[in-house]
Amino acid sequence: MIKKILIANRGEIAVRIIRACREMGIESVAVYSEADSEALHAKLADEAVCIGPAAPSESYLSMDRIISAAVVTGADAIHPGFGFLSENSRFAKLCEKCKITFIGPGAEVIAKLGNKQEARNTMMAAGVPVIPGSQKPVYKAEEGEKAAAQIGYPVMIKAALGGGGKGMRAAETSKEFKKCFDTAQQEAQNAFGDGMMYVEHLIQSPRHIEFQILADSYGNVIHLGERDCSIQRNHQKLIEESPSAELSEELRQKMGEAAVKAAKAAHYVNAGTIEFLLEKDGSFYFMEMNTRIQVEHPVTEWVTGMDLIKEQIRIASGRKLSCRQEDIQLSGHSIECRINAESPDKGFRPSPGTVKDMHLPGGKGIRIDSAIYSGYTIPPYYDSMIAKLSVWARNRSEAIRKMRSALGEVIIEGVDTNVDYQYEILNHPEYISGNIDIDFIENMKR
Amino acid sequence: MKLDNMFKKPSVSSGKKGKRPEVPEGLLRKCNKCGRAIIAEDVRREFYICPKCGGYFRVHAYRRIEMVTDEGTFEEWDRELKCGNPIEYRGYEDKLAGLRDKTGLEEAVITGKAEICGSPAVIGVCDGRFLMASMGEAVGEKITRAVERATEECLPVVLFACSGGARMQEGIFSLMQMAKTSAALKRHSDAGLLYISVLTDPTTGGVTASFAMLGDVILAEPKALIGFAGPRVIEQTIRQKLPKGFQRSEFLLKHGFIDGIVERPKLKDTLSKILKLHARDIKLQEEEPRQHEKSIKHQESTLSQQVSIVMGGEPDAWSRVLLSRKTERPAGIDYIEEMFTDFVECCGDRCFADDRAIIGGVARFRGLPVTVIAQVKGRDTRENLACNFGMPLPEGYRKALRLMRQAEKFHRPVICFVDTPGAFCGIEAEERGQGESIARSLYEMSGLKVPVLSIIIGEGGSGGALALAVADEVWMLENSVYSVLSPEGFASILWKDSSKAKEAAEVMKLTAADLKEMGIVEKVFSEPENYTAENLEETAALLTREIERFLAEYGRKSPEELTARRYDRFRRL
Repeated sequence: MIKKILIANRGEIAVRIIRACREMGIESVAVYSEADSEALHAKLADEAVCIGPAAPSESYLSMDRIISAAVVTGADAIHPGFGFLSENSRFAKLCEKCKITFIGPGAEVIAKLGNKQEARNTMMAAGVPVIPGSQKPVYKAEEGEKAAAQIGYPVMIKAALGGGGKGMRAAETSKEFKKCFDTAQQEAQNAFGDGMMYVEHLIQSPRHIEFQILADSYGNVIHLGERDCSIQRNHQKLIEESPSAELSEELRQKMGEAAVKAAKAAHYVNAGTIEFLLEKDGSFYFMEMNTRIQVEHPVTEWVTGMDLIKEQIRIASGRKLSCRQEDIQLSGHSIECRINAESPDKGFRPSPGTVKDMHLPGGKGIRIDSAIYSGYTIPPYYDSMIAKLSVWARNRSEAIRKMRSALGEVIIEGVDTNVDYQYEILNHPEYISGNIDIDFIENMKR
Repeated sequence: MKLDNMFKKPSVSSGKKGKRPEVPEGLLRKCNKCGRAIIAEDVRREFYICPKCGGYFRVHAYRRIEMVTDEGTFEEWDRELKCGNPIEYRGYEDKLAGLRDKTGLEEAVITGKAEICGSPAVIGVCDGRFLMASMGEAVGEKITRAVERATEECLPVVLFACSGGARMQEGIFSLMQMAKTSAALKRHSDAGLLYISVLTDPTTGGVTASFAMLGDVILAEPKALIGFAGPRVIEQTIRQKLPKGFQRSEFLLKHGFIDGIVERPKLKDTLSKILKLHARDIKLQEEEPRQHEKSIKHQESTLSQQVSIVMGGEPDAWSRVLLSRKTERPAGIDYIEEMFTDFVECCGDRCFADDRAIIGGVARFRGLPVTVIAQVKGRDTRENLACNFGMPLPEGYRKALRLMRQAEKFHRPVICFVDTPGAFCGIEAEERGQGESIARSLYEMSGLKVPVLSIIIGEGGSGGALALAVADEVWMLENSVYSVLSPEGFASILWKDSSKAKEAAEVMKLTAADLKEMGIVEKVFSEPENYTAENLEETAALLTREIERFLAEYGRKSPEELTARRYDRFRRL
């Protein structure tokens, strides 16, 4: 079993992982940047190592520094959380070389699934439905335009190594293709240092449905049901829930089987997420596989009763899965709202600053995952998500009521947040009716 | 709220200790520029450039060959060639034997033949691990043999220099290698072949003072130390602290000794581009259906190509002077971008500086390699300060002449774009021989054995313009001017009143139409109203068509015929 875990992350996910370590009797090592010396994760961990200046490239993305911190503290495993180095195959490889257990899939699997084109090919070969798209990586607008003409407009242009909505543009017609392509490629170049793109058919107003899977090193793969993450703004998820109001038991089974098939095809090990786009007619397409823990994992934990971080650690320690597919029963309904320090009135501009005072809700079926505390200064260098509020109730409408009540109780003074914005969504008739798709926010603006 | 030591620590589960992480040997290395730890694999992947500070690591010879040549094309020559101990220096053989063991190299340079993006070339790469790649008999011999064989096989040579200089342990024999390698390169050059020298960190001493500095094209990696005497020696001799950046690539570029600085990731492409521009027997591409065709027709119907002299509403001479000076007017660089491809700028006069008032290099015109030289005017104050408001210094003319001589060597036509208020008037210009540099240009250009075309695109200011206009044909744009002196200067000298510039302009006969009539220029090209880089296309299309004709016509003439005609062209004036 793993004895000491270095958490190569910050914020609430680092805190979440440290808590799991504390419960499991595993020592924890936090790493933090100069801007994070007062951060909760650095205070809560058994040990904390400063790894460099505020800029992520100099700290949370600096592989050699993180590895050095692990060596110095004698950590035998690294949990990468999400974002930063979590899906960096070279980092996973480096851990392996230094005899450090990387809590996640192996480097080859990350590399294979991280390249969208290769991931698509793997899925097609395994018989998992994929969105019609370009067969080869595209580097030039002209090549892309040719591919787009074959696929049929509207099309989506995506960075092959992308994620988080960066390096993505939709082109409605061939006329605007070049401009969209060039912008997306530029963005991809800046964000991932790679201009490899691909083009695929744009599915009009689908739902974003993802399946959580768990796989051990012995070939056992199970899925833990779906999450509906259709409420997104600029490709950034805002609200996630499980189960999805749209899925029948039959469709859930079908998609779940496809997800398991996908994970098996990729020889996947550890926790992962298969993202699908679900069309109104019930057809679904594999979009990508995320080879890490997701932000929204609490909703799955609510409806399955499992602790995904602990499962990750157990799998990485070489244990077999503790349950089989038939043991998994989804119960009740869970919703998660991401609380960001941002100003919805000012175009969702990040709003870093000092939290002067705060009050967070509690009670039955209410969970807060956060790294802020009274007097904490949110640094401007990182993601603006400061808390995740999740609720569980017996059914969706009860969960919505619980979430509204909980949101209504959130007080965070000193910085702007999107709490009121989330409250508005929770009161929107279309949201309440469950009739949502990925254009929900876009349509709500009108 | 302060959270220091506020949280209770839960108990840790007992049991045997977990495995200890360890960093395997060679996984990390230290950057010798910024001192930070870096992952060795990143360094290899990123062309041996530190991912943290961008500093360049020295590259082993075989790695370098891998980086710049096509996989599997390298054929090594004279691998076993070794030297003796010519002055019987004690312990030298043992030292060499030790190094051979340690590095796996027989000597400090690797030579052979390879392809670079499909272009064959003889390549030589110094390896600094072997006695700082100092040049002894073996290094000199290997380079000489490689160059000789390149001459025999009519191949270009690419040498990557990196050296501490002459090899002291071999005494005077090592000094002789400088002469030997240089002589071999002279023969190679006399055979009309291309030599590209790439200077890497460090290139010093006897290597700088021989093969490294003899390239037709000399490139350098960023921030490489390049010099004759080492900085420490200089400091000790003159007892002064040397300025920052002294003897670095950027310093050499500024001082006119290298053509350009190329970042390592772009090196292979740059070499390939230069090699292809120097491939033999490239012909002017046959006329292909052109996108400009329509606009040319349109031009012809609305404007006559050669502008009639006086028409109602035509601007007067002074207006044309003002038009020729407008900052919005397309500048030389705009024409290069519009009408040429694959432009590789070549900097420096190899004597003193790189003058930014004249740029030049090799480019393709309809596939045909040509040397293109343009006087530069800026579009704003910052640009104008950089290019000295288009007023060249002697080093500018010397650079132009250097490029023209190179054009002659490689049988490339020369195309000049003239746009200058005049050669710079100042103390430093006189100190460095402004008059001599212009005179030398006129003298040499008259005898160039390749076609020369000059196009006056703006101001043709006196001797400063003529120094790029001793050509087979001289063309002008409708609103460009060409004169012995500025109208202001003319009025001031003849009438003692520079405010009479307007009147002067009228009597000087400096407009394109006047000059055409007087037989000073061959052609005049129309230009649109409010001529800017934005509406350059139509004029450029006209020019392109005429340049094609010019190259076809003059390309057929023998060197004797060319120089005789050019002689007559000026002889009759």
